Amino acid sequence: MRRENILKIIVISFTFIFLLLLLFPFFVMISTMLRPSREVYTSPPYWIPKHPTLSNFIGVWNQVPLVTYFTNSLIIAGGTMVLNTLLSVPAAYAISRFRFPGKQILLYMLIVLQMFSPIVVVISLFKIMFWFHLLNTYTGLIFSNTAFTLSFTIWMLNGYFKSVPVDIEEAALIDGCTHLQAIQKIVLPIAAPGLVTTMIYSFIFAWNEFMFALTFIQSAKKMPITIGLYSFVGQYTTQWEYLATASFLAIIPIVVLFLLIEKQLVAGLVGGAVKG
Amino acid sequence: MRKKGYLWTSKSRLAYLFILPATVFLLIFMIYPTANVIIMSFYETDKMRRMLNFIGFRNYVELLKEKEFLEIIFRSVYWTFIAVAAKTIFGMIMALLLNIEYTGRKIARTLLIIPWASSVPISALLWLWVYNPEFGLLTSTLKSTGLWRNPPIWLGDIKWAFIATIWVDIWIGIPFMALVFLAGMQSIPNELYEAADIDGANLWQRFFYVTFPGIRNVFLIATLLSCLWTFNDFNVIYILTKGGPVGLTHILITYTYENTFAWLKWNYGAVMAVVTLVILSLVSLIYGRIYFREEGE
Repeated sequence: MRRENILKIIVISFTFIFLLLLLFPFFVMISTMLRPSREVYTSPPYWIPKHPTLSNFIGVWNQVPLVTYFTNSLIIAGGTMVLNTLLSVPAAYAISRFRFPGKQILLYMLIVLQMFSPIVVVISLFKIMFWFHLLNTYTGLIFSNTAFTLSFTIWMLNGYFKSVPVDIEEAALIDGCTHLQAIQKIVLPIAAPGLVTTMIYSFIFAWNEFMFALTFIQSAKKMPITIGLYSFVGQYTTQWEYLATASFLAIIPIVVLFLLIEKQLVAGLVGGAVKG
Repeated sequence: MRKKGYLWTSKSRLAYLFILPATVFLLIFMIYPTANVIIMSFYETDKMRRMLNFIGFRNYVELLKEKEFLEIIFRSVYWTFIAVAAKTIFGMIMALLLNIEYTGRKIARTLLIIPWASSVPISALLWLWVYNPEFGLLTSTLKSTGLWRNPPIWLGDIKWAFIATIWVDIWIGIPFMALVFLAGMQSIPNELYEAADIDGANLWQRFFYVTFPGIRNVFLIATLLSCLWTFNDFNVIYILTKGGPVGLTHILITYTYENTFAWLKWNYGAVMAVVTLVILSLVSLIYGRIYFREEGE
């Protein structure tokens, strides 16, 4: 018993040290956002603010067009989520329920596309966006984000749909339900947790996306929060206390959403290997 | 039999109807751009991204002659290798620590996820502030605790910029590794450990004969995925250094972007995109094989 207790103390203290190191930038963020600006630019800087204040949470709205950035991010991420769901649900249903010629090719295509790098497509995508006048538009970003989330979400949804027993559905079909009704009334409600996971996933992906937004959006009015904050830092004198505050506000919702789906996400990524 | 055949065709027609929208979408926004970039890599282009003359492999040959390009390919490889190795080691340690039960373990697990859960571009911006040589808390903390009296100018130093950048990439990647390994470890039946105890196995033996074989498949998939993500890490490098100082932190991804969108050398960008595509396709095919093997399909 005693040996186990000692082991536990060692484990806990090591975990604690590791976590301190891992969360370092977030401690810096919190320390910075609670300091009035004259305490931010002192050399050497110190951790604990002498006059802790929440004034940055008021000032940041004037310094950074946060309302615009957040609205843009919400539109882009929400749009990606909706479009992605509309496209992936029927596709995943077909894959999980029907056998059809070409299915194996489709599955391989999905797995290769999941691994794609944005850099491969961004060059030609820029041309496409230019032709269709989609540069500097929400639509352009929603399309390119969806292209990247789609194969992974079809893949995950396929797994969830497969776990819904076919019997109930067949009974409904015999009773005269159409396939669409069967999806709506039977499959989706049972697979709802999975559906929510993929929806949150596509939302988070679009919220965090950087390269497409950097390339396709030049107008400050259309910038999502990531590019907005990046361009804020690009200016000559960055006001870091506002950056820290804005980061805090931008991270909180996304971390909460992520924690909700983290387990399913890991399971989806590593597949059967983790089920043991 | 006849009836079944009829149902079969009608069902597959329905199936095609269902997959049609997603497939068309992927064709327009993924497959077409990929095909287009491959074609572009064989053309001479102007700054307005027009394709002028077909010149075969000349773009490829010219790039291969550039010393910087070869250096960058080489750097992408060791960037990936070092970062994935570090993520694996730290992730494994973290997973082993979290695999032992104590009160508060759940909180520790949640805190561990935060670097992965947080938005990568925003984390990178925060690190930019952490690394700030004058007002940043990293330099001052190292100095005041006496751990390091004379820390370098992290992102501006020729030697340290690479280390400082790769550390942020590693930092983001640790939680995923740890979580996956932990999930694998928790699926190992307890009897195996009990048997090892009866045989008098020490901690190392327990790890090498029970834990590691138990998570072998998870380990393979996680490191493969991590290789892909690490090789593809555009955000961290672009935000922290933009490839500088003097191009020393460029990897293939950022260099491709710079060539295309900053220097408007579309043909070179296209060639590099093709190189990236080839490398990533190979890795993802391996991933696909392991994934399918595990799913038993």
